[in-house]
Amino acid sequence: MLTITHLSKAYGDLTVLKDISLEISANEVVAIIGPSGSGKSTLLKCLNFLEPYDGGEVRFEGELVGYEDSPRGRRPARERQTNRQRARMGMVFQNFNLFPHMSVLENLLEGPVQVLGEPRAEVTERALGLLTKVGLLEKRDARPSTLSGGQQQRAAIARALAMRPKLMLFDEPTSALDPELVGEVLATIGQLAAEGMPMVIVTHEMSFARDVADRVIFMEGGEVVEEGPPSVIFSHPSNPRTQQFLSRVLHERFHP
Amino acid sequence: MSGYEWQFHIILDYWPIFVRGAWTTLKLTFASTLLGLVIGLPAGILRQSKIRWLRAPVSLYVEVIRATPALVQIVWIYYCFPILFGLQMGAETTIVIALGIHTGAYVAEIVRAGINAVDAGQFMAAKSIGMSGAKTLRRIILPQAGQKMIPPFINEFANIMKLSTLASTIAVYELLQESNNLIATVYRPLEVYTFLAVVFFCITYPWIWLSQRYEARLRRRA
Repeated sequence: MLTITHLSKAYGDLTVLKDISLEISANEVVAIIGPSGSGKSTLLKCLNFLEPYDGGEVRFEGELVGYEDSPRGRRPARERQTNRQRARMGMVFQNFNLFPHMSVLENLLEGPVQVLGEPRAEVTERALGLLTKVGLLEKRDARPSTLSGGQQQRAAIARALAMRPKLMLFDEPTSALDPELVGEVLATIGQLAAEGMPMVIVTHEMSFARDVADRVIFMEGGEVVEEGPPSVIFSHPSNPRTQQFLSRVLHERFHP
Repeated sequence: MSGYEWQFHIILDYWPIFVRGAWTTLKLTFASTLLGLVIGLPAGILRQSKIRWLRAPVSLYVEVIRATPALVQIVWIYYCFPILFGLQMGAETTIVIALGIHTGAYVAEIVRAGINAVDAGQFMAAKSIGMSGAKTLRRIILPQAGQKMIPPFINEFANIMKLSTLASTIAVYELLQESNNLIATVYRPLEVYTFLAVVFFCITYPWIWLSQRYEARLRRRA
């Protein structure tokens, strides 16, 4: 579904991603963990080209993301092509980023109607179904600012799903939430994973990553240090940097 | 006090002159603002463009206008346009065009600031659903930026109201020019200029007040 090959990115002299190669297959749930500044959010944003990358490539369903090959070499793709690729991947942000001047329902309709050009009535039906699923049907006419953080994030997940994406990207979806609201959002993501939606989740929630992910990727200093099934990464990590990171975050969790 | 004997009753008989002047001032102000919006809105958006050859000329326009006095712009258009382009315009038209071009630069800056004040996450969210840049601007960014732009717009309107006194330099009969004329008749400059200031305050302050109130309302809602 998604193939990342020798991906690299730098801001001037600062390298943020170093030679990353990953393969994400259909129905797979991948969690990316690592200390802040490890490049995990940047990697996620390279997948739908919200962040352009400098070297290597990302292919989504076989198609090069953000660039196109021409006889004279590789060059940035036209905006229209990149937008078409983005429309097939849903993204959920740390700060929700709902459109504040629209109701919750309008937030869900915006993409399918304005970008995909689907008929409004048809999309509305689907959107109401999604709002029911995330438990926000009664909030459909509310403005995002009147919702709690957890509700906003669930609405944002529904907005992404309204586009009927092939893959979901979550960028620290619970980092901006009050602790008591984290559970409801994780439950929604967990439900989605159980339904077989392929997803890449950048998260600080270790127990969630352990429960939901098929594969865990540990990043540090812009590179993938270790990857494997959660049972291995969390119980018997082989790389000392992974061990050190996990012992630190798990220790903090129980002895803040 | 120097013991000056104010004699406001003398000029009060001439009140229709002030009404006439105020009417011209308001007309010039509205027309200049309208032209300023027509120039400034697209200019502010183009100044954000990623395409250099769209951005550069607009930036040049904004910087040149902001770095030269409005009075110089007015006399330049009034005296140079006819010679350079063979275009002879009436004094009022000149003022509207000069102040419109002047205001356009400031409106462009307001638009730019308004767009920049919208959370970067909004651009990202729109991109993530595959929305084009133009549509993002129209449907997501401008509706949010528009609200933030309203108080500085009203403020700018009040500014033009005051700048319109420059029209007197090319003999447009707005408030200041009418007042100067009146002084030549009644020889009471202190009364006339004092009353002129009061009239200006009365027609300008409501806009400043409105702008402040709207800004406070936006802040409360945020």
